Amino acid sequence: MNEPVKLKAKDYKSAVKPIWCPGCGHFSILNALTKAFAALGIAKDDTVLVSGIGCSSRLPAYVDSYGFHGVHGRGLAIAQGLKVARPDLTVIAMGGDGDGFSIGGNHFIHACRRNVNMTYIAMDNEVYGMTKGQASPTTPADWDHSKLTPHGPGVRPFKPAALALAAGAPWIARGYSGNPNQIAKLIAEAIEHPGFSFVQVLSQCITFCPEQTDWKAIVNEREEAPLVDADEAAQLFLHEDGFQTGVLYNAPRATWPPSPPEPQSQDITRGFCL
Amino acid sequence: MSTQPLADFLAHSVELESEARERYLELAQSMAEHHNREVSEFFSRMAEESRLHLEEVAEIAQEHKLPELKAWEFEWPGEESPEATSYEAVHYRMTLRQAMLLALDNERAAEKFYGSFAKTSDDPETRSLAAQFAAEEASHAAQLVKKLGALPPDSAQQLEEDDDPHMPE
Repeated sequence: MNEPVKLKAKDYKSAVKPIWCPGCGHFSILNALTKAFAALGIAKDDTVLVSGIGCSSRLPAYVDSYGFHGVHGRGLAIAQGLKVARPDLTVIAMGGDGDGFSIGGNHFIHACRRNVNMTYIAMDNEVYGMTKGQASPTTPADWDHSKLTPHGPGVRPFKPAALALAAGAPWIARGYSGNPNQIAKLIAEAIEHPGFSFVQVLSQCITFCPEQTDWKAIVNEREEAPLVDADEAAQLFLHEDGFQTGVLYNAPRATWPPSPPEPQSQDITRGFCL
Repeated sequence: MSTQPLADFLAHSVELESEARERYLELAQSMAEHHNREVSEFFSRMAEESRLHLEEVAEIAQEHKLPELKAWEFEWPGEESPEATSYEAVHYRMTLRQAMLLALDNERAAEKFYGSFAKTSDDPETRSLAAQFAAEEASHAAQLVKKLGALPPDSAQQLEEDDDPHMPE
């Protein structure tokens, strides 16, 4: 029997070309994702990417796997349902900060609480890019680049890692689009984590937030081992500057559902009978 | 680096040239999408040059058993392979001059990377190949410097143009 062909990162890209702005951090995440797939030898047919709406949510179209470009903020709901129904699949949900922490905020906290064995990548550029640059839940309070908020949103931004921890996420990491190889490693570890894994990626929006090119000088890789104590992690996430990268918290716990349910396709079919 | 200096060096060289090409292709496509045709065509040419260099390196590499490294296991001087254009450095409104200067930085970074092996490797064959690759990168850089010299300066109007980003949907 022939050995399976080992795929390279570029083999996981689809024929659809991204329309993101040149310099967009999402290119880096796309490349990191395909590098992670190549490193893990992920089977295309056993992988599903699920997204919401926004620039970042276009990503599943650019990967040669199964994908679902869903409803705004609902990527996590769809992805969890899929993983529960098909636990054999590798399921990765993704989207932006507006999609995930605003309209999808409720799904985010409950996904953290529920702990289904899947990965969520939040591509956080602190702005609604597709609608031409409005403040999102992670936008700094004094960001005054939008005509809608000429003096800044004036609202304290979410701290996604703190939010995830408080909601029960067992595995939390942060990457930066300027370091795609690090993101690739984080995504590979996230996929291998047995439970809900949350990867926040600081992904620059070169068009609406050009000041984010300064992130390169601010971002720093955390050298310590991931925290396992929730109290210590809470102290870190509440008081850090939000620019530490790496696996920040890793405290595995029982996933949901407790055991894979038996296939019940007949029941589902009956449920749709009129 | 491991105890197989030549195989490790070639693995890094193939990855460097491959990533340079992929990034140039990506940039050429996204610049075209955003109607910066001049810069798109330049990045396409750079991708083609990278392809030629990649083929040369790959031909040498196929005679050796290269280590299979994961993306994060390569040892680069920075966060990415030296000839991959930095994501922070590009913009859909960038001029040809800016794009060429960026490419020049990439060529010089690659030359420096190869040059460090040419100077420090314990393996004579690695030193020889690295010196050859460094010279080729230096030659590319010299060609870019020559072309930059012949390029008219950017007009202030081009740089200050305030156009909305094109986001087709």
